[in-house]
Amino acid sequence: MNLAEGVQIVSFGILAVMMLGAALGVVLLNQIVYSAFLLGGVFMSISGLYILLNADFVAAAQILIYVGAVNVLILFAIMLVNKKEEFKPVRNRWIRQGATALVCVGLLALLSTMVLATPWAVDTTTVNASSTIIQIGKHFFSDFLLPFELASVLLLMAMVGAIILARRDFIPERKATTTEVETALTLPERPRELSGS
Amino acid sequence: MDFSSTVASQLNAGVILPEGLVIITLMVVLVGDIILGRNASRQLSYVAIAGLLGSVVALYFQWDNSQTIGFLGGFNGDNLSIVFRGTIVLSTAFTILMSIRYIQQSGTALAEFVSILLTATLGAMFLCGANDLVMIFLSLETLSISSYLLTGYTKRDPRSNEAALKYLLIGAASSAIFLYGVSLLYGLSGGEIRLDAIAAQLTDLSSGQSLGVAIALVFAIAGIAFKISAVPFHQWTPDVYEGSPTPVVAFLSVGSKAAGFALAIRLLVTVFGQVTPEWQFIFTALAVLSMILGNVVALAQTSMKRMLAYSSIAQAGFVMIGLVAGSDDGYASMVFYLFIYLFMNLGAFTCVILFSLRTGTDQIAEYSGLYQKDPLLTLALSICLLSLGGIPPLAGFFGKIYLFWVGWQAGLYGLVLLGLVTSVVSIYYYIRVVKMMVVKEPHEMSDTVKNYPPIRWNLPGMRPLQVGLVLSLVATTLAGILSNPLFNLANSSISNSSVFQTASTPVILSESIINRQSLSE
Amino acid sequence: MLSAFILLPVLGAILISLVPNTNPNQNRPRIIALLFGGVILLWNVILGFQFDPSQTAMQFTEYIPWISWLGFNYHLGLDGLSLPLLFLNSFLTLIAIYSSNVNIQRPRFYYALILLLSTGVAGAFLAQDLLLFFLFYELEIIPLYFLIAIWGGGRRTYAAMKFLIYTALSGILVLAAFLGLVWFSGASTFDYEPLREQVIPLGIQLWLLAALLVGLLIKIPIFPFHTWLPDAHVEASTPVSVLLAGVLLKLGTYGLLRFGVGLFFEAWITLAPWLATLAAISALYGAFAAIAQQDMKKVVAYSSIAHMAYVLLAASASTPLALTAAMFQMISHGLISALLFLLVGVVYKKTGTRDVNVLRGLLNPEKGLPIIGSLMILGVMASAGIPGMVGFIAEFLVFRAAFPIFPLQTLVCLVGTGLTAVYFLLMINKVFFGRLTESLSQLPQVDWGDRIPAIILALFIVILGLQPSWMVRWSETDATALVVSPSLLSQVAQAPDQALSLGDELSMNVLPSRSGNN
Repeated sequence: MNLAEGVQIVSFGILAVMMLGAALGVVLLNQIVYSAFLLGGVFMSISGLYILLNADFVAAAQILIYVGAVNVLILFAIMLVNKKEEFKPVRNRWIRQGATALVCVGLLALLSTMVLATPWAVDTTTVNASSTIIQIGKHFFSDFLLPFELASVLLLMAMVGAIILARRDFIPERKATTTEVETALTLPERPRELSGS
Repeated sequence: MDFSSTVASQLNAGVILPEGLVIITLMVVLVGDIILGRNASRQLSYVAIAGLLGSVVALYFQWDNSQTIGFLGGFNGDNLSIVFRGTIVLSTAFTILMSIRYIQQSGTALAEFVSILLTATLGAMFLCGANDLVMIFLSLETLSISSYLLTGYTKRDPRSNEAALKYLLIGAASSAIFLYGVSLLYGLSGGEIRLDAIAAQLTDLSSGQSLGVAIALVFAIAGIAFKISAVPFHQWTPDVYEGSPTPVVAFLSVGSKAAGFALAIRLLVTVFGQVTPEWQFIFTALAVLSMILGNVVALAQTSMKRMLAYSSIAQAGFVMIGLVAGSDDGYASMVFYLFIYLFMNLGAFTCVILFSLRTGTDQIAEYSGLYQKDPLLTLALSICLLSLGGIPPLAGFFGKIYLFWVGWQAGLYGLVLLGLVTSVVSIYYYIRVVKMMVVKEPHEMSDTVKNYPPIRWNLPGMRPLQVGLVLSLVATTLAGILSNPLFNLANSSISNSSVFQTASTPVILSESIINRQSLSE
Repeated sequence: MLSAFILLPVLGAILISLVPNTNPNQNRPRIIALLFGGVILLWNVILGFQFDPSQTAMQFTEYIPWISWLGFNYHLGLDGLSLPLLFLNSFLTLIAIYSSNVNIQRPRFYYALILLLSTGVAGAFLAQDLLLFFLFYELEIIPLYFLIAIWGGGRRTYAAMKFLIYTALSGILVLAAFLGLVWFSGASTFDYEPLREQVIPLGIQLWLLAALLVGLLIKIPIFPFHTWLPDAHVEASTPVSVLLAGVLLKLGTYGLLRFGVGLFFEAWITLAPWLATLAAISALYGAFAAIAQQDMKKVVAYSSIAHMAYVLLAASASTPLALTAAMFQMISHGLISALLFLLVGVVYKKTGTRDVNVLRGLLNPEKGLPIIGSLMILGVMASAGIPGMVGFIAEFLVFRAAFPIFPLQTLVCLVGTGLTAVYFLLMINKVFFGRLTESLSQLPQVDWGDRIPAIILALFIVILGLQPSWMVRWSETDATALVVSPSLLSQVAQAPDQALSLGDELSMNVLPSRSGNN
């Protein structure tokens, strides 16, 4: 083992521990703001893993998009929603937690067995790190052209949808001229009567 | 060699001409809405329908195209995909017909609704032809995200919100599971993303790969089963169907489901050809559960939309018989049934929309005595429901016969017998609605029907509903009797598709693909 | 030619539904329906004259490829088995239309449904393709469901739903048997004729035949699958009961002969003793149940179960003579039960009740219903097998043919025939004899419109009773063809008048192994 490999392994270990610890914190901490910040930590560690894989552009994009945009957005959302609510403790919570843990551990065991048992076809060719952006660009305009273009349509529509969901609606005045049921911003069907009433 | 000219000469971009037309229509609708304002939105939806019909024409001219692979292996426009894309485009056109009045009456913007619906269509169409993993996932997400938006479109209505949230959460989870399964495929094949290339890499399963393939298979099926709402991945269906705007439900039950089945055929047959007995076993279980649960729970429903939700689960179970059969005839019977299902199910939803527009309810009990007030609606709904129940000589009968016959030929005796028995159960709940409408005496008429408004087709947005109603009525009645051309279409779409030939002997299209190594240099 | 039986009623139904609702002349749907019913009957008679009974092959065949991938063809044909039933269908349809209430609610829908029902039944009798038979067999469910559910009595919804579920179940069993037959025989189409040559291992044949049998026994109906029938009959209106008993039950027995005997002969022989036993049980059960009934319509309904069991008995004997007898019994039951239901309907219309404990002395010549009563007595006599009427010939043929093969079961059925006289005499005695009670003395006048259909039916019953060969000559060749090899058949064709005796010998000599079966 030469020095480079040793550094690689050590940094991988540090990053993995960081990522797992932060992820556990996201799930287990009670304060939601802590969770949000720790989520940022998870994203950062992932980006470190990308750097270890020589994927510099992806690493930068990861930080820019997930930490810089998504995570900050989540923080904003948490801070803007300033609502305190007392949650009643759920009875027999330990049963649910136990069952969940059992399922998760089982799944983990299955997946790790699979990861260890499978002879992965590992690509040993080293990639020239200086030109990842060029390579990504070439891929985007050759064999990934269609997904690339489709993603643009998807983003456009996501934007339109977000605007629709967020904007204040113009509620048309109710016109009594038509004989039919007038509804504004609700489904034309009435809500279902509850079965007890 | 000049990079751009090399790529451009190999793209074969003509295969996505139908999708291109849909995108152009989408742009016209979006931009037109901005320029012309809200008053033009009804005209814009007619433009959307015209664009969709243009897309159907484009699909027609691509039939039996010799060059089906486009975008360097990213898209496969073979006949199988053409049939499914055609079904999806038609279902969208029908959905727009029935949504114009509905959306306007709910007070929300029509043009945006149409454009989101077109995006969902686009995603579904790409999903039918997607030939690599990235394309599959991206088009699946396009379809899903548009569907979430549509489900929550009437955002002031708590039911719609609840439906959208449920759909989003369960949908996102199933997408994640699907993605995990697909990423396993990427790893197992040593970094291949094209389906045929993956299949070529997965030929040797003896050497420890079997567990990985099995997990990939299960996870991929979980994603697919969510889309086609097969039991036990169906929990979202009743709530989402009840809470969403009805035209959206119509699209979800036909267009989205057809895309799911197209994905199932392509992915399972191409990639998982080595483990065919395994996935057939899983789908047998799914089909059994779907047929039993869908049909039995539908018996107890009081809301029309919920009943149609469970009936759509059950119908998916019937279609899965064709998938499990695993023969060319089996896939052809699926194509045929989905095509017929398009008309009968959308016809039924058109009737439900019409009734709820006029009366504001969708309770089954409120339909009683409808024949006196609205004979056309009664006739159309009766025909569509009876066809769903498989009563001859309507279209559904022939679809079911074909499915059962194919299943029988494949030796699935138990599955076919179960299908036969559950279809008797389904007749019971379909005819319950028909009974409500037709059999009830005038004095048993519900209050809603007593106050039924006079039928006026000249109100804005009603004419397209009428057109959709009559079209689906005619199609449901005649598609069975005149079904031989449809049978031929379905069969030739299967027999001429490259999927089923490459399934056994993978062909690497090296001459049309840029070599990965040459790119990286 | 034969498509007329399918297309004409559909055309009539469409025409009727196009009559405007606001039309002041509410009789127009009825007139159109009568017109179409008459034309169909006339067409049937014309075909009957052109029909050559000495041929065994299908006549007037029509063949249009329909769905090539399924091997599903529109293939119609007429032979001696289907012609009498087809005639019965056209005839009873016309009678049902005629005897319907003139002022019925929703006339357009009603008459359209009756015509559609006639389409379904005629199609099933004519179909030469298994899937086509199944299509028509299912097609008839929905019109009949509506006919019971809309124009029926108090519990009509329940009865109609029960009918629907039972018949739909019977349909899928039949379909399963057909699919299995075609698949295991390796045939490329669902065509009937080629399938008769099938060679399937007996074990599979037995399974397929069992599915087919259960399906058809529900339809006939035979104990223990009969429970839908009394409900359906009691709740249905008179014309619908006439059609149900007269024609629709025959779909089941026709299916037994055509597909059970015709396609699975080997397995049929194996199962025949059990079937005969079932028939005997059903005959006894129907008779005893009929004795216990208070409702006239239920008495007739249970007598239907008993009499349809004779068809099963004859079919299980499956000699040429027995099959001819089965055909004859089907026609005879069709005529007699139609007559009885019609008359019970008239009694109910005039008195408002069908309870045998309430009705008394209706035969009173002054104030009662003398002609109706006399016709009723005639019908009952025919049903009980009094010589000179069609019932006697039919039952005699059945027992004559079945006795050498299944003596015990036949004897039990003979007891059942004796019981027929018992329960019908009980009913007649209570309802028509005795002193006319005061409450019934102000009965409305029976006009000739009510009597004519019953009189025509009675005429048929008597004429065929006196001259049975007019009926037998249609079916004996084809009944023979179902079970005998072609060489013997030519003998029958050369000497048609000896066919009965010849068939009888066959039962003793050619197929002696079967007499040891029970």
